[in-house]
Amino acid sequence: MVVSIKFHGMQRLVTNTDSIDMPINEKTTVNDALEYVKQKYPGLHLDEGTIIAAVNLEIASLDRILRESDTVSFLPNIAGG
Amino acid sequence: MKILRQIEYKPVRVIGGYTDRILRVDLGTQEITIQELPPDFKDKYVGGRGYALKLIWDGTTRETRYDSPENIIVMANGPLGNEPAFPGTSKFIVGTISPMTDTFIDSNIGGHFGPLLKLAGFDALAVSGISNENVVILIDGDAQTISIAAAPAYHRATDEGALSFGERLLKDVNGGDYSDSLAAVTAGKGACNARFGIINSLFFDMRRKRIRSKQAGRGGTGTVMRYKGLRGIVARSSLPKANGNNAIDKEGVRQAGSRLKAVISKCDHQQLSMSIWGTTGLSEYMDKFHIFPINNYQYGQSPESSKLFANVFLEKYFSKKIPDGCYYGCNLACAKGAENVQLTRGPQAGKVVDIDGPEYETVGAVSSMGIFDPHFVMEYSWYCDEYGIDVISTGVTISFFMECFQRGLLSADDVGYELAFGDIQAVDRLLHEIANGEGFGKIVGQGVARGKKWVAEKYAARNGTSEDAAMAELNKFGMEVKGLEFSMYITKESLAQQGGYGLALKGPQHDETWLIFIDQVHKELPTLEHKANALKWFPLIRTWFNATGLCKLPWIDVRNPEAAKTAEPAKNLPTLAYYVAYLNATTGSNKTLEDILDDSERLYILQKLINLRHGKGTRASDQIPLRAMGPVYFNEYEARAEYYDEWLQQQLGDNKVPASLEQRHKLLIEKRFEAYQQLCDIVYEKKGFTSEGIPKRETVEKFGLMDEQARQLLNKSGV
Repeated sequence: MVVSIKFHGMQRLVTNTDSIDMPINEKTTVNDALEYVKQKYPGLHLDEGTIIAAVNLEIASLDRILRESDTVSFLPNIAGG
Repeated sequence: MKILRQIEYKPVRVIGGYTDRILRVDLGTQEITIQELPPDFKDKYVGGRGYALKLIWDGTTRETRYDSPENIIVMANGPLGNEPAFPGTSKFIVGTISPMTDTFIDSNIGGHFGPLLKLAGFDALAVSGISNENVVILIDGDAQTISIAAAPAYHRATDEGALSFGERLLKDVNGGDYSDSLAAVTAGKGACNARFGIINSLFFDMRRKRIRSKQAGRGGTGTVMRYKGLRGIVARSSLPKANGNNAIDKEGVRQAGSRLKAVISKCDHQQLSMSIWGTTGLSEYMDKFHIFPINNYQYGQSPESSKLFANVFLEKYFSKKIPDGCYYGCNLACAKGAENVQLTRGPQAGKVVDIDGPEYETVGAVSSMGIFDPHFVMEYSWYCDEYGIDVISTGVTISFFMECFQRGLLSADDVGYELAFGDIQAVDRLLHEIANGEGFGKIVGQGVARGKKWVAEKYAARNGTSEDAAMAELNKFGMEVKGLEFSMYITKESLAQQGGYGLALKGPQHDETWLIFIDQVHKELPTLEHKANALKWFPLIRTWFNATGLCKLPWIDVRNPEAAKTAEPAKNLPTLAYYVAYLNATTGSNKTLEDILDDSERLYILQKLINLRHGKGTRASDQIPLRAMGPVYFNEYEARAEYYDEWLQQQLGDNKVPASLEQRHKLLIEKRFEAYQQLCDIVYEKKGFTSEGIPKRETVEKFGLMDEQARQLLNKSGV
């Protein structure tokens, strides 16, 4: 089982890719995905409080269990000009 | 330069953020006066937008239009503007009676003009009257003179351009050199020919060694300026900018600024990275969540959108490794720019120019016309600034006419040529026609509200139908409220932002409220009550930024990590605490956030009263096009059917969604309309308005605004 982790904006420039796949098991959470990305790309600086997690474009808590083919994103807070 | 009138004056020192002086210039009589403000004026009206509102309320009447001699154009910084120790302190407000909305418009603008005006001794400049020749105003704090001079004539191309003329003027008045002690505001020839003329704010960027510009884009402030015969204004002061406000508590200012700068330094590159690619970074996120305007807001996403994402502008155009920003001390520094860009279209094709921007709004205006060419975005940005016309209103009005073509309401016989979405040649032609007041450009330059009437007349005459029937169709997708075109966000999936646009006092510009993400994406406003509370709170705090001379982006677009620990993270209260501390340290006050919101509410109610006076202050004026509420045509519904079906099912509860797609679409629109009306009801109640959207007597009295004019106005309104 895998999920896709999507990169947006500056994340894409740091990682040089639009997305990566991550293997999961039945207990893998959004937080595990976050830690996976942090470890793989330390230059991303995905600190808690500065980003929000989304699964399939819906905001998700860090303890949410991931399912096969989910797409995970770590988005900035956007509040307008 | 031929001086027509000049006075000598002694600039007063700024103390605690204020000079307590307003410079008044009547271009009709060439009278120049300095008005000393009573001590309680600043307590009640704060500065910036508040000063503009009070001057317009007192100095104009319900009959005043943009071209009336008594109309006033006010430019005002605010008590917190001009402090390099704190990020984002260059903003000033331009306020006037708008040629678009026929009521008060305010447009905020960066650059050095506001701070230099204050250092030259004035909290605000108020220009009234109409000159019988083109003039410039020179406010020289160093020479201690204020002059009205005949506008210099250089050569035609320079004189017609807002940027070109301003660059030359700044050099001219400074003996041939640029200096950061001078700044100018100018309006170009497009402002003479279109209602949505802008004001450019020009300043010398010592790092880039060139003149840069920011724009007051909304509502036709430049059109008012040119109608008055005013080509430009220069402000000069060589006083130090550091501690320019003579803050009461300098250490308090330093601490508050250091804290905010630390948050920006740590967090911006983890979030929107505005310091790297400015506001263009928004395009990708807007597209992802169906908010990016495509083909006059029909669609929120396109397979071609990625051609306009920030990385494209960063790689191809933005000058890298040069510190940016529109004023000293701002480490968010989002004012991006490009040097040596060759124009490939229009009358100046082949010319190599420097371009400031593009901003997200420029990108969105171009996508709204169905164009996905980044070089065209750059050219569109430069030409609009040089001509002095609003990138938003220009793009949205052209998009509206494109959709009229698409739906058979307009033909090439009416326009003189085809105007289809994505037709870059047609848009290029039309852009220059608007600026020159030629051909179809004369019609487009009037904006969407007046454009709808023109199309309705044409269509009705050609087809033998009633104008009312044609207008009903056009009202569905003509993206304006109160006469102002929408800025570049699709609201179909965010009821809160529908209110944000519809209830915005100046018309649908996002700087009063921007709730799309916290509503549509974050789901932080799940109920009508949540949305209504946000629609009261955010306009008030945002009004305060416009009254004090501050940019909102360091607060709202860089989330403080500590905010996650608060009950309402979207308010970013930990960062707002730095702003409150900065206010108190500068002015010597002891205000809380609640005090600030009360101050803002007084200004908000005053603006509402002006709207009421000018016929734009009731529920009828807060209605938005159906296109802003949902998928007004079936093609829009089909593109997001899954989302809309789910929403409809939630509304219907146990009742079944109709099987017929057409019935489903019809019911959906009815339910969206109902939801918007319910939202208005709750918001009006929270704001202290009647169900017709008119401020109640007790609301006006609460903020000390019940003067004779207000009393008569409320009487007339039946309140």
